[in-house]
Amino acid sequence: MAKLKLALYWAAACGGCDVAVLDINEKILDVAAIADILLWPVALDFKYHHVRAMPDKHIDVCLFNGAIRNSEQEELALLLRAKSKVMVAFGSCACFGGIPALANFSNRQGIFERVYFEAQSVENPEKTLPQPHIKVKEGELELPEFHDTVRTLAQVVPVEYFLPGCPPTVKLILTAVDAIAKNALPPPGAVIASNKTLCDECERVKEDKTITKVYRTHEIIPDPKKCLLEQGLLCMGPATRGGCGAQCVKANVPCRGCFGPPPGVLDQGAKYLSALASIYDVKDEVGIARMLEEIVDPAGTFYRFSLADSMLKRKRL
Amino acid sequence: MKKISVDPITRLEGHGKIEIFLNDAGDVENTYFQIPELRGFEKFCEGRPVEEVPRIVPRICGV
Repeated sequence: MAKLKLALYWAAACGGCDVAVLDINEKILDVAAIADILLWPVALDFKYHHVRAMPDKHIDVCLFNGAIRNSEQEELALLLRAKSKVMVAFGSCACFGGIPALANFSNRQGIFERVYFEAQSVENPEKTLPQPHIKVKEGELELPEFHDTVRTLAQVVPVEYFLPGCPPTVKLILTAVDAIAKNALPPPGAVIASNKTLCDECERVKEDKTITKVYRTHEIIPDPKKCLLEQGLLCMGPATRGGCGAQCVKANVPCRGCFGPPPGVLDQGAKYLSALASIYDVKDEVGIARMLEEIVDPAGTFYRFSLADSMLKRKRL
Repeated sequence: MKKISVDPITRLEGHGKIEIFLNDAGDVENTYFQIPELRGFEKFCEGRPVEEVPRIVPRICGV
């Protein structure tokens, strides 16, 4: 049987998804036994011109991690889409925008000014900024164009499967690899994770208590057995898809929603706001004002990993 | 002047490319190393609660 052809790519990402693939340990040898890897910048020396030279649909499965932040990442998404039979949005950045999409609270100008002019470690008296084209004495150099708005992979090209997580867990990666190897992939559009919320998976005791105060994580040491939200910590469990093995809540740390919205939910932050409003015991406007004061960064918390995928997609500037 | 592009550079964390310019004799005239990526943590950490920053900045580099 011909070996499967795999490609792995990273766009606006941290490399953690690539390392997560290696976290399957010796199972990577099984992958190597059934598949030839045709692109994987972190691990193998293939160039973009190798990909451009491939016939269309030459790659069986592309595992694409990272959000779409600049023109190069958009070009690579389009290129790999054309060359791949199956496109998998791998990890929270490709699925929902992830941490890089927090930049959608700002825009290119805001980011450039902070990074290249104002940052305390920067000295840039000539106010040099990255340019898409720049003339040097030997010729011309090109850099990708930095976009105003971070997008998810599916906002740029059609995507068959979504494998969420920051990073995806070894268990889910092996589920996906198994399905690819056995040619038993689910129907297109499937999210390779749980179809329940994190709360459904969480083993903590829930007593349907209302909360009277929201605490910041450094203000209390939570009871390790009781629901974190009922203890007043903003845990994203009610508005987050399960499948992660509840790693954060098992470490006594509230969920930040990296698996994205559960099935049927279009907007993770709005869902969470609704969940929070139903549990917070507030009777009058004074109470509402107090609640708003206690939640220091609602948008940056409720949309920590899903701003690009939200209904608003970005802050209006 | 002939230009050789090494794009992307591989087997390291992050994105990079190298442009090598050759003169008429075929010797290297100049070489440029470019970083074609930026996410802007310096900007989007602004406004986040300080106790949340340890959960955001590990995503600068996951390798």
